[in-house]
Amino acid sequence: MSNQLKLDEKRRKAITQCSRCGFCRAVCPIFDLTKRPITNARGKMILLKEVMEGKLPVTEGVAQALLRCTTCMNCTVNCPSGVDPQEIFKAARKDLVGMGFDNLFKKMGEVIEKYGNIYGEEERHDWGHKKSRAPYVLFVGCVGTFREEESVEETIRLLDLSKVDFTMIDEVCCSGVMEDVGYSIKGELAQRNVQALQKTGAKTLITTCPYCYRVFKEHPSYKDLGMEIKHITQFLKDFDFGVKTNKKVTYHDPCDLGRHAGIYDEPREIIRKIAPNFVEPRRTRENAMCCGSGGGLRGSFPEDSIEISRSRLSQIIEETGAEILLTECPSCLHNFQNAKLRKQKIEIYNITEFIAKLIQEQQKKEAA
Amino acid sequence: MLEKGKLIEIVGQENFTDQLEELVPYSYDASMNVHRPDAVVWPESTEQVVEIIKFANEHKIPVVPRGAGTSLSGGVIPIKGGIIIDLARMNRILEISIENRYARVQAGVVCDDLNRALAKRGFVFPPDPASSTVATIGGNVATNAGGIKGAKYGTTRDYVLGLQVVLPTGEVMHTGSYTMKCVSGYDLAKLFIGAEGTLGVITEVTLKINPLPRHAMTAVATFAKLEDAGKAIFQTMTSGVLPSVMEILDKVTLKSIKENTDIDLPDAEAMILTETDGFTWEEVEAQMEVVLGVLKENNPISIKTAKDEKDRLNLWKARKSSYATLARASNSFVLDDVTVPISKIPDLLVGIQEIAQRHGLVVATYGHAGDGNLHPQILYDEYDPEQVERMEKVEEELFKLAISLNGTLTGEHGIGLSKANYMTLEHDPVEMALMRQIKKTLDPNNIMNPGKRALDG
Ligand SMILES: Cc1cc2nc3c(=O)[nH]c(=O)nc-3n(C[C@H](O)[C@H](O)[C@H](O)COP(=O)(O)OP(=O)(O)OC[C@H]3O[C@@H](n4cnc5c(N)ncnc54)[C@H](O)[C@@H]3O)c2cc1C
Ligand code: SF4
Ligand code: SF4
Repeated sequence: MSNQLKLDEKRRKAITQCSRCGFCRAVCPIFDLTKRPITNARGKMILLKEVMEGKLPVTEGVAQALLRCTTCMNCTVNCPSGVDPQEIFKAARKDLVGMGFDNLFKKMGEVIEKYGNIYGEEERHDWGHKKSRAPYVLFVGCVGTFREEESVEETIRLLDLSKVDFTMIDEVCCSGVMEDVGYSIKGELAQRNVQALQKTGAKTLITTCPYCYRVFKEHPSYKDLGMEIKHITQFLKDFDFGVKTNKKVTYHDPCDLGRHAGIYDEPREIIRKIAPNFVEPRRTRENAMCCGSGGGLRGSFPEDSIEISRSRLSQIIEETGAEILLTECPSCLHNFQNAKLRKQKIEIYNITEFIAKLIQEQQKKEAA
Repeated sequence: MLEKGKLIEIVGQENFTDQLEELVPYSYDASMNVHRPDAVVWPESTEQVVEIIKFANEHKIPVVPRGAGTSLSGGVIPIKGGIIIDLARMNRILEISIENRYARVQAGVVCDDLNRALAKRGFVFPPDPASSTVATIGGNVATNAGGIKGAKYGTTRDYVLGLQVVLPTGEVMHTGSYTMKCVSGYDLAKLFIGAEGTLGVITEVTLKINPLPRHAMTAVATFAKLEDAGKAIFQTMTSGVLPSVMEILDKVTLKSIKENTDIDLPDAEAMILTETDGFTWEEVEAQMEVVLGVLKENNPISIKTAKDEKDRLNLWKARKSSYATLARASNSFVLDDVTVPISKIPDLLVGIQEIAQRHGLVVATYGHAGDGNLHPQILYDEYDPEQVERMEKVEEELFKLAISLNGTLTGEHGIGLSKANYMTLEHDPVEMALMRQIKKTLDPNNIMNPGKRALDG
């Protein structure tokens, strides 16, 4: 076991390059909540600088500080010095685990291995959709499967209504999240997914979860998948759904879809087609505030996570006056649903779920 | 050892820390100075600040007020240890009185948050430091922050109507007024503006606010000769029109931007970015015509103008990216803010380049030409002791140069720690003695931000 962070040259240089301007204070969802400098990117970069210079021993406090980050990347896009702090924090989390500072995600890793999902659920909801060969295959991911089943049901309905010939598989967790919290992707699970996906003969993999999307696209364990990978908003952007709502609609950019994957326009193209009364939140696109669920924060700091979600949600409501909040990420959706107060009247959906509902409403009207 | 029980009693457990990992980020600001505090408190009211100060004064414990910690002078570094008073939780906008043209805020309000609230009513607090997304009004007052619009709109000092300050003995002082004019008594508020937390903790600020100009027009001109750019600047500033922006970028800055970004720039010795603003287009354009006339008379290589937002942002790109480009071009840097009479800008720029060459470091200079406030950014490597030494030499000579041109060590960042050793370059013994006397009178136990500005002697 080493007693120092292994950080490579590139990351060491980045730590030195942080000019400590503090601009990241303005955008960090956790700092917004706590006002404690140790929680924003500058604070953590300073800790790493001192560790690197041998001025500060690596302690449990350092390990906890580095875990307290949603990896939302808002600091990255606002950093004048061109530093990507969250990437460094993720690497440091791995080093820390290597040094013996295990964290609560060790347990989650065991759960994923045993149950194939992050929640340790023994039974998975099955939407009764076909699981055979088809040109498209839909991958739902853990949060959708076990926490937002109803939303996924509507997404599936939308694909059916849109006559997409797609199949599903007996998924296991893509397990990419392990990489972000100090551990490693579960190669065996990845292999199971790859085999099941390949068996479908699909040319295109559609994901509803932006995080799964990134893992399939970026992680070497999935490099031999041999199919095109599309987030569902990319896939559906040219569809004509033939429905509209007059309600005031707004959109929350999931960090994994926006800043991490650069997908900003496709969701908006879809929304503009169905909701002429579309308004952007003040902090949007590259500057959208995080919902608080990423980077393992919901597991490691659940109170922060829900408070961040509350704050983002109330800001959106206050600034836009929207009746409907759309997003396209099961984690954002789930966190917002949990955060929403009874007195808040806004309805929150994934885009695909919302369109399926609109179509069904219209069908009901036509039938009546 | 600090008796922390009392502090916890005052602010509550959740608003106190002495945990090592939390103290580490408080040992830094945006300068190269480092020192650990012993504890940090986040007071939520003036009453709590009073109690903290009384406790510190009684036990002679150093206290450093802190806003966002964006100080570039080491002003916020607790060089003698002690207690950091972080004002981040005193961040309420207390009152916006449009009819009386003022806003009253707690010291921890972030500059941009105030301006967002004011913009909704068509008003603005004009000083616009580049750090305004995070810097606090308390920090702005304590450093007399200025910004790009300084030449026309002045600095924080020009907007402070009144202050609430907790003095080093724990008494609360209200100074100034809610009126546009006031000559009642000594102007004590001014004493605290730019005092860098050495005389007390500012807890509340009453600021004059301006109507927000509705339109702006931008122009950029490049010059093959520094002298021509220099003439263009002071001729514009005396043309009868006061541009809202008058920025200059020197050739080292331009070269770095050219090499490191995709921004298209001609080879030039200097670039000027200027803007006129106002309430009608006619007004803005008429002013710009005068400015363009002056620019054209001084042999520019090129001139571009922009009216709509997209083109304007394009012209701003080079200026806006200067800090970031240079910050990425080296491991470490020091960002200074020497200021000279406007006509001396070319001499300052030439002098800086001579110094840089003599010591073999890159120094890129840009800044607020309209008020003579330039930002030489000295690039070096903090892990190379020999380069550190050269950087220090460059700074020393830079300060001497500015003073020899009738300038000042600092236009907006403050003296703090970084420039404390040079105070006597600018201030004669009589003035130094009076400053020390004032400090001693207000702060007999020297608890407020000690070790700064050479005031301890
Ligand atoms: C990238 C960058 C760009 C910058 N651009 C500009 C610019 O354009 N113009 C400019 O003027 N400055 C600029 N600065 C410097 C800095 O942002 C300003 O000085 C700002 O006003 C500091 O505000 P703060 O809240 O961060 O104060 P801090 O850095 O926390 O404190 C600064 C000083 O004020 C004292 N202080 C803070 N709050 C109080 C209080 N409530 N009562 C008493 N004393 C207090 C501190 O003790 C310290 O001495 C820049 C800094 C950076 C990093
Ligand atoms: S914005 Fe970037 S350079 Fe500035 S403090 Fe944050 S991480 Fe460091
Ligand atoms: S990635 Fe997000 S949560 Fe993490 S430090 Fe940056 S802004 Fe804060």
